[in-house]
Amino acid sequence: MKLPESETTFQIPIGPQHPALAESENFTFTVDGETVVDVKARLGYVHRGIEKALENGTYIQNLYLIERICGICSHAHTLCYSQNIDEALGIEAPPRARFIRTIVAELGRVHSHYLWLGLAGHEIGFDTLFMYTWRDREVVMDLQELITGNRVNFALFTIGGVRRDITPYAIEQVRKGVKTLEERIQYYKKMCAKEVTLLKRTVGVGVLKPSQAINLCAVGPLLRASGVKRDIRKDDPHAAYDEVPFNVITYDGCDVASRLFVRVDEVVESLNIIRYALEHLPDGPIRVKVPRRVPTHETISRVEAPRGELFHYVKSNGTDKPERYKVRTPTLANIPSVCEMLKGGYVADIPITLASIDPCFCCTDRVAIVDAVKGKKRVWTWEQLSRYSEKWHGRR
Amino acid sequence: MSPAQENQVNIIEGLKERIGGGNVLETRIARVRRIFLTVKVEALKAAVNHLAAQGFKHITTISGIDLGDSIGVVYHLDREGLQLSVKVVVPENNPVLPTITDIIPGAVLYEREVHDLLGVVFEGHPDLSRLVLPEKWPDGLYPLRKKHSVEDIKRMVNEVA
Amino acid sequence: MGLVKWARVKSPWVLHINTGACNACDIEVLAALTPRFDIERFGVLLKGSPRHADVLVVTGTVTRQVKERLVRVYEQMPEPKFAVAVGGCACTAGVFHACYNVYGGVDKAIPVDAYIPGCPAKPEAILDGVVKLLAKLKGD
Repeated sequence: MKLPESETTFQIPIGPQHPALAESENFTFTVDGETVVDVKARLGYVHRGIEKALENGTYIQNLYLIERICGICSHAHTLCYSQNIDEALGIEAPPRARFIRTIVAELGRVHSHYLWLGLAGHEIGFDTLFMYTWRDREVVMDLQELITGNRVNFALFTIGGVRRDITPYAIEQVRKGVKTLEERIQYYKKMCAKEVTLLKRTVGVGVLKPSQAINLCAVGPLLRASGVKRDIRKDDPHAAYDEVPFNVITYDGCDVASRLFVRVDEVVESLNIIRYALEHLPDGPIRVKVPRRVPTHETISRVEAPRGELFHYVKSNGTDKPERYKVRTPTLANIPSVCEMLKGGYVADIPITLASIDPCFCCTDRVAIVDAVKGKKRVWTWEQLSRYSEKWHGRR
Repeated sequence: MSPAQENQVNIIEGLKERIGGGNVLETRIARVRRIFLTVKVEALKAAVNHLAAQGFKHITTISGIDLGDSIGVVYHLDREGLQLSVKVVVPENNPVLPTITDIIPGAVLYEREVHDLLGVVFEGHPDLSRLVLPEKWPDGLYPLRKKHSVEDIKRMVNEVA
Repeated sequence: MGLVKWARVKSPWVLHINTGACNACDIEVLAALTPRFDIERFGVLLKGSPRHADVLVVTGTVTRQVKERLVRVYEQMPEPKFAVAVGGCACTAGVFHACYNVYGGVDKAIPVDAYIPGCPAKPEAILDGVVKLLAKLKGD
């Protein structure tokens, strides 16, 4: 499927769903032949109105809404929220709770990075990788279900600590699971470093220079793959991260391949963190009692979610409901960077470049491509774009 | 005073020296890595310029908050983990601020979001078009303004859609 | 059982659409495809176009932005067609009831044949719902 000469402008939806209609776009691309010249962003498909709803719920009720901002990193949102309200109340979660928070947060990172690895593989037509990684990811899902009672959306973190303790049986299972996941990630690491088709599609693609990443305020693996050593767990320690040794992973390639290697190595680090935290899990209570009303205060909380810096801000007013609750997800922070790195690249590289920032599906949805010369527009489905990419790269 | 606290005090003093102590209305060192300041609107750009030159090049986000007859806009700047939040307050009937995208390009979507949801106008912003609200959303309806309840908003949007 | 009906029951083709969900259900729908749950053994295939689909699997609580599109996708599907609401917020508004930009439930936009609750619905529940729908198809 070649880009037809007469109509070189497209509206293309992105995301794992398969919408088939031309509607409002979230990204508009201006192209000149096969090259992207400019990118404009516009979000909105999944805007629900959560921040307003948070002003109408109590702090405890809001825990359950916050968790469902994003189902993939829901643990990051509840961790950030719990920490935020803890600080507004002037309390600290007990040591055992902080360690459990860390263990579950790192399990969440492992599940998210495995998920991403599978979807990235799917994006470049490498469906075997998708099936293998999602099969291995089930190990993490089982552990999460064992510890919290659910595969996704745990309702584990709460204001003042955690709601359930981690049993000795669960600890034993986590140790076994970590061992399996470690073997598997080493396998994927070797494979990714050698697999020619994968490297061809990712090395030198979607380049974001360190200066651009910093100016555009990028976060997470995207920033670290451009060599910038920033990680909230080290820079603004929370939970038990100041008590657990780990490395911040950076790579200098500044491309999609580097983002892949960063995430793979981060899984290794996460597994080490989990093992260390289990080894050094303190005894004691898992939560402290908290009042319903939060005194007038203004606090900020940040965590290093799998996608990067997640930020929550609260303004409390002495009642049991927040006056204002602000959430900034890492994907939003990375959109200016992704717009920049798509410029000068090929249309066929759009899917993998977008996927390389690990966009939360809830945030981005549709894409449009406009020809700089002819000024026309057309609609392609996600599947069409993916197939175009594969065929285009297959020909080169 | 610990080195971290001293560092925070120095940052505040440096800012006051640069933009004038009278332009810094409120300062609060909440704890390590948390500074909260309020500055006058006229001094906002000078403050951001100075802070960016001091290494606060990363903007985490911009939070808008409806305070009743005014709107608070909080710029959350970051330097290697140290969060410095700078608040300015604009009147509700004339919520205009200068853009800071010429100093920190990464602020581009955050200003757009505050404009979309609260109606603050950022002069000099390259593109203040809708970011998160849907296409057919009525003009002038800013959902995060306190005067609108969720039921009001749903009703008003249904009337238009 | 006629040939067309047999084909539909033996191999229902499914189109998945997200109408404003948090993605938890979406990843569980995808997980249902993967080796551990393997929805393909029921003949279920995930397709890209409404014109090829028998069953529309809908996650999410239908935001204002997406409602028209959902309705049009459903209209584009050939008869007989079925819609499945996956997840608590697709069945009713769920946890998003106080949000200003949601309609709250897939049946506010299109008729629904099966509701699969859960937040998110587990892959086993999704498989169970699909099998029950197949039984309903057979029964027609």
